Amino acid sequence: MEDAQIVNGLVRRCVAGDAVAWEEIVQRYHRRIFNICYRFAGTSDDAQDLTQEVFIKMYRTLSSYDVERGAFMTWVTTMTRNLLVDHFRKTKQDRVTDSIDAAPSEHEDAMPLSERIQDQAAPPDARVQSREAKEAVHEALQKLSPELREAVILRDLQDMDYREIAAVLKVPEGTVKSRINRGRAELARLLQRIYKQVM
Amino acid sequence: MPGETNNGMQCNEFEALLFDALDGLLSGAKQGRFRAHARVCAKCGPMFAEVEAGQHWLKSLTEVEAPANLVHNILAATSGIESYRLQEAATATHKPSLGERIREWADSLLTPVWSTVRQPRFAMSFGMAFFSLSVALSVAGVKPSDLKQADFSRNGLRRTYYTTTARVVKYYENIRLVYEIESRVQEFKKATTPAEPGPAKERDKNRKNNSSGQPEPRQERNYSREENQPVLASNPEDPPAVSVTTIRRFA
Repeated sequence: MEDAQIVNGLVRRCVAGDAVAWEEIVQRYHRRIFNICYRFAGTSDDAQDLTQEVFIKMYRTLSSYDVERGAFMTWVTTMTRNLLVDHFRKTKQDRVTDSIDAAPSEHEDAMPLSERIQDQAAPPDARVQSREAKEAVHEALQKLSPELREAVILRDLQDMDYREIAAVLKVPEGTVKSRINRGRAELARLLQRIYKQVM
Repeated sequence: MPGETNNGMQCNEFEALLFDALDGLLSGAKQGRFRAHARVCAKCGPMFAEVEAGQHWLKSLTEVEAPANLVHNILAATSGIESYRLQEAATATHKPSLGERIREWADSLLTPVWSTVRQPRFAMSFGMAFFSLSVALSVAGVKPSDLKQADFSRNGLRRTYYTTTARVVKYYENIRLVYEIESRVQEFKKATTPAEPGPAKERDKNRKNNSSGQPEPRQERNYSREENQPVLASNPEDPPAVSVTTIRRFA
């Protein structure tokens, strides 16, 4: 609660024209927003551009933030998510998104993702720790549909609770849980498929 | 299958408890029943394994570091101010003196000029100009040591002006004297040399000395003459006295 009060104070000062307060807000949230953008967009360059866009939009619309309507973090995450969806529509990334039930094709057999996993003899737990495995998970995450991807990012990477995620995505909590479930399961299938190929 | 009972737990109950189990909120007997159902149910067991594995993979992803210039870029794109923290820290620790401020001002003026001058085309032009100036000064007899010793006070400048004027006048007078002596010597030579080289000889000499590049008058006539024009015998080297005599005879 104390943190929320500090943030609300910063927002009030910022709306009143205090540049120091604005810098404090940027310092507090830039890393979190960058991470959401990076995990959703897939590349650091896109994530950087999107993070800047989020802050530009935030700077312009900060006066519209209503403390009574929800936490500042939820407001910021909603704004980030909306920009990510816009970006996704613009770049038409859904063309390369895999279907959950799609059978592995010949193209998938030759996926470079599997080539990067070099430590074939090591158990999965050990592989997870490696950088290559993290890259594989990151790439597999990009193959999820945007609805499932945003749900698992907010839950498993940003540790948001189901109620907050429901508020950000503007869907019922049950839908959020269903999407998280499906997202996790699909990711596991994608990665298992990759590991089966290399083992 | 939904509604099927395994170890005292139905599949729909298992699904309801799935998130609590994954979030580590189940405990005691409830967790035991949940695990037992996952072991025996052909539908719920694999589903739970997949979801748990997916969660495990996702949790393995650590937070990435944002680029170092991101905050700077955001502040530049929004408030247009680089960083108040850095600015305040800089002003608190060090206040620039008047000399430093003048130097900063001069730097802000000179830096763009200097960056332009450093371009190869300008550098070559300035190099050539400097070379030409130094050659001109050395030819004129100006030495850098003289410039060093120059007095820029009012009296010094006046003295320098008069000295320079005197030097120029003296130089002019010397030149005039030399020319006068030279012309006198030539006159004396003319007076003492025996006279009258022949007119033909003199003309030959003139022709040989013709360095103007203009063609001879005779050649001009030949090149401009048309084919049907009668060729008249002429000897331009003869004196005109002959024609005068002829006219007199017919008259």
